[in-house]
Amino acid sequence: MKITYNWLKEMVDINISPEELAKKLTDAGMEVEEICYQNKHLHHVVVGKIIKIEKHPEADRLVVCKVDIGNGVVTQIITAATNVFEGAVVPVSLEGADLVNGIKISKTKMRGVESFGMFCSGEELGIDENYFEGAGVNGILILPKDLKSGTAIEDALMLNDVVFDINITPNRSDCMSVIGIAREVCALLGKDLKKINLNYDIDVYSKDVVRNFVNVEINTTNCFRYMAAAITNLKIERSPLWLRARLNAVGIKPINTMVDITNYVLIEMGQPLHAFDKDNIKGQQINVRQAVKGEKIVALNHNEYELNEDIMVIADNSQPMVIAGVIGGVDSCITDNTSTCILESAIFDLKSIRITSRNIGVRTDSSARYEKGVNVANAEMGLARALHLVSKLKCGKVARGVIDICNKKNEAREIVCSVKLINDILGIEVPVSEMTRILNSLGIETKATGDKLCCKVPPYREDIENDYDLAEEIIRLYGYYHYDDIEYNLFDKASVTEGKNHPRLSLEREMRKSLIEQGFYENISYSLVAEDINKKLMLDEDENKIVKIANPISEDISCMRTSLAHSLFQNINYNLSVGNKNMRMFECGRIYKAKSIPLNELPIEQNLLAIAVCEEGFDFFNLKGVVEKLLSFTSADYSIKRSSKPFLHPGVSADILCNGNVIGSFGKIHPIVAQNYDNPEYVFYAEIDTEFLAELPVKVMKVKAISKYPIVERDLAVIVEETVTCEQLLETIKSACGKLYFSVALFDIYRSANVGNGKKSMAFKIKLSDLEKTLTDDEVNAVMKKVLKALTFKHGAVLR
Amino acid sequence: MLIEELDILKNTVLGEIDLIQYSERKKLADIRVRVFGKNGTLTLISKGMRDVEPQDRPRVGALINEVRNAIENSLAMKENQFKNQELNEKLENEKIDITEPAKCQSKGAVHPISDVIDKMIDICVKMGFSVVEGPEVESDYYNFEAMNIPKNHPSRDMQDTFFINDNILLRSQTSAVQAREMEIRKPPFKIICPGKTYRNDSDSTHSPIFHQLEGLVIDENVSMADLKSMLTILMKRLFGEDTTIRFRPSFFPFTEPSIEVDVSCPTCHGKGCSLCKSTGMLELLGAGIVNPKVLEISGIDSKKYRGFAFGFGLDRTAMILNSIGNIKYLYKNDIRFLDQMK
Repeated sequence: MKITYNWLKEMVDINISPEELAKKLTDAGMEVEEICYQNKHLHHVVVGKIIKIEKHPEADRLVVCKVDIGNGVVTQIITAATNVFEGAVVPVSLEGADLVNGIKISKTKMRGVESFGMFCSGEELGIDENYFEGAGVNGILILPKDLKSGTAIEDALMLNDVVFDINITPNRSDCMSVIGIAREVCALLGKDLKKINLNYDIDVYSKDVVRNFVNVEINTTNCFRYMAAAITNLKIERSPLWLRARLNAVGIKPINTMVDITNYVLIEMGQPLHAFDKDNIKGQQINVRQAVKGEKIVALNHNEYELNEDIMVIADNSQPMVIAGVIGGVDSCITDNTSTCILESAIFDLKSIRITSRNIGVRTDSSARYEKGVNVANAEMGLARALHLVSKLKCGKVARGVIDICNKKNEAREIVCSVKLINDILGIEVPVSEMTRILNSLGIETKATGDKLCCKVPPYREDIENDYDLAEEIIRLYGYYHYDDIEYNLFDKASVTEGKNHPRLSLEREMRKSLIEQGFYENISYSLVAEDINKKLMLDEDENKIVKIANPISEDISCMRTSLAHSLFQNINYNLSVGNKNMRMFECGRIYKAKSIPLNELPIEQNLLAIAVCEEGFDFFNLKGVVEKLLSFTSADYSIKRSSKPFLHPGVSADILCNGNVIGSFGKIHPIVAQNYDNPEYVFYAEIDTEFLAELPVKVMKVKAISKYPIVERDLAVIVEETVTCEQLLETIKSACGKLYFSVALFDIYRSANVGNGKKSMAFKIKLSDLEKTLTDDEVNAVMKKVLKALTFKHGAVLR
Repeated sequence: MLIEELDILKNTVLGEIDLIQYSERKKLADIRVRVFGKNGTLTLISKGMRDVEPQDRPRVGALINEVRNAIENSLAMKENQFKNQELNEKLENEKIDITEPAKCQSKGAVHPISDVIDKMIDICVKMGFSVVEGPEVESDYYNFEAMNIPKNHPSRDMQDTFFINDNILLRSQTSAVQAREMEIRKPPFKIICPGKTYRNDSDSTHSPIFHQLEGLVIDENVSMADLKSMLTILMKRLFGEDTTIRFRPSFFPFTEPSIEVDVSCPTCHGKGCSLCKSTGMLELLGAGIVNPKVLEISGIDSKKYRGFAFGFGLDRTAMILNSIGNIKYLYKNDIRFLDQMK
């Protein structure tokens, strides 16, 4: 929110610089985000009077002006502007000026004649026609004749304030006004708030009474207070410069007296006001009510809105005139011809205004204040202040009487709190005297008796309810710097607790470390994806119901991902597009699947570890090795079967089974999916359910006895049909070796015409060992014979 | 005669050996055959002993031995010399360019955000915190209402939230786990929750998906001073022992008092640099005493227990720890970026 230094000074005696003030406010929780000097680009710009204009001897389009710039100094300026004349009072930028449009002024020679500055247009001074008459013309700004030459332009045009942009936290709606910040400043500087002039002249000579113009009824629980006054003999005209200057400084466009007054009070007192043209209130009736479904209104922004029961309106006998607290309608607003206006000052339920504002998608300065909460007492002050300004500007006569319907009590609240508790919360000792001083300075009347603090909280501080709230008020003004020197041995007050990592995160840590050792890069991808994820991965839409966001930022991040494969394939695609060729990646992340659509309970969130490899020469069995290594961190007793994962190559992929569950899959990317993601066909992918694995019992090692006699090693190559799997052969060899079995490993596969079509030669290294003795050749030969026999019998194997 | 012959033999052979160069080292073997072979000169001379007068035999025999030894020694010496030379030559030939690249699967790298999470977990677990998780697709109740942010409350404006429907949303803060944990845990306890959070906000410094770490301590009689002590330790462990922290007032609906915590800039150590915009401090955490209303909502007796909570942005922390200039890098997963995390 923007407010100005001079405006604050009208309410508090401030004896420190804007920077010092900003620092104090920030330290107390009113963060000043920006300090802006209005005159930043107006240095070396003064009021000047053109005494004489002569033609430039060398240029037809230029004239040479003699200009009085005050203190008896006459300077020479060359201009191409055509709207200047002898006797004109104009802004003159002199050497050193640095204008808002980037022009820097220095003395120059134009076609042989010296020029010591430049005349300025309104635009070059950063102002427009709304702010100052003549500022909008295409040419030099012609100033009023009575301005004294040499006057700094910032003073002449009242552009000499300092603007603070303050970030007001949602709990401090009372500070969304000059008076609110002024109260804080009073507390910070130990000053009293100056009296604000709320007096106004009542038109006692006229018979006009507000009740004769309008009757007000409240027919909703969402309006807490409605006040109305009438102003007759309205003169709608340009406001005086000081008023325009204030509004301009805080970024509000000056319009005319009545509109400017309501805006002024909005900023100064935080009270939104609305002015109706009395003649446009049908039936002289103001009715505050909820809208009827289907009712329509054309608002001041010229949009038509269809209303419903959630929206509160201010209506006359026939139609809504205003969307309450948010925006007025064109039919009832004041115009240049309005002679009598009804001025509304109302208080609404913040929730109602918030709902309305969201409902119609309109936010205004009014709704911004109402939806954070405006205190009931504020309506009275705001209205009086506005009427005061009407009197001061003499732009109308205030009729007798004020309508005031108030449905909400508004009194100071008593809170009794404990000094000890406050210091317990803070953990430092704030003296009682400091506590009472601080609270009193904030307008919270506080008396201390023993451990008790009796606090009378003013109505506008609705945020203060208990000891914790008071503790915050105390510490933010006492100063958080008191914690700067606290050293850290204080945590001995808290109990000792056992720290434990999350079991899945612990497991993932081991796996991640192992993968990194094997050359994998960890990825973290957006868990939000485009809606076509299931289509691209050829996933079953029923099984993988997508959780969709109702208000997405963009289509490509509008749904929760149903697979990590999508993320990693996309990452591969991105990397290839920027010229990275070979890559191994993994991601530990979640996938999200709705149990039902529409979503009426939270979806299933599953944690997986996924890996993807894009590397020529990397094959299924390399991947299998990586997966097996990961599973070796767990006690999983698993087997594999052919996978039916739709995004994997059906012939080159496997599911991992454990206790009857599929706990992972791995294999080559499906060629169509590879196309969908613009990935090469040799991409490999794996995923494992780390959540399941982390819940398995801890891995227990059981060490078997090893023989002291040497191992005997024999190689055996057999020819089998292609359909016979390696696993089957290994199983048979193992069981045929009986108790002499030590290990068996495949070391070669060979296919050729010699071996036969549809056949393969498999060579195994078989190791035998006996705990009791050295094996003899005869014993070994006997076992090998048995092995071959079993292979032949079970699998039709032929010795090669 | 024989003596003369021996003398000549000795002198010529020794001279010959002496002259043999490394390149003609095979000649050594020839000489050996020529002198000591079956029909070698010395062998023949030895055979001639038969014809020597018996009284001369010892003298001649000794001389033969002397000549044999001299030649053998000379040969051995030369052979040895050549063997050394040969070894040196072999070693020289086998010399490699040690700057050629190593042969092994080169390491991959951890993601900078995971790295921070790992570090924080290690630090906090040692301090007695347990690590918990919560759902990312969360109910309005846990994300907002239980955190003292009722429906249509102004504080909802502090976070642009992604909604699934009226009651289900993407958590906008890891604080959503606070109430879940308070419902199932008995004080005293300390927990942290790292994880993904979502806000409807995307620009050069904001990502719609980002990571937070929430901390919550519930115990009897804990205070803002304890919060300061704990956070000081955490930040020292994370950023280095010379790190300091500072409190500033702020507002969160679920803490009262609420603070922002500034951490001394780890890059310039408080002197002022471009990272901290010359302030020497970085705004990194929000924290405060748990609002007693929040305790009561989740069934914890706020008369008996008090708590403090902190939440901080892991993306920003990762960026600071690794001097990452652009938040977009974090989610592109570009190998050229990740490779720098080795």
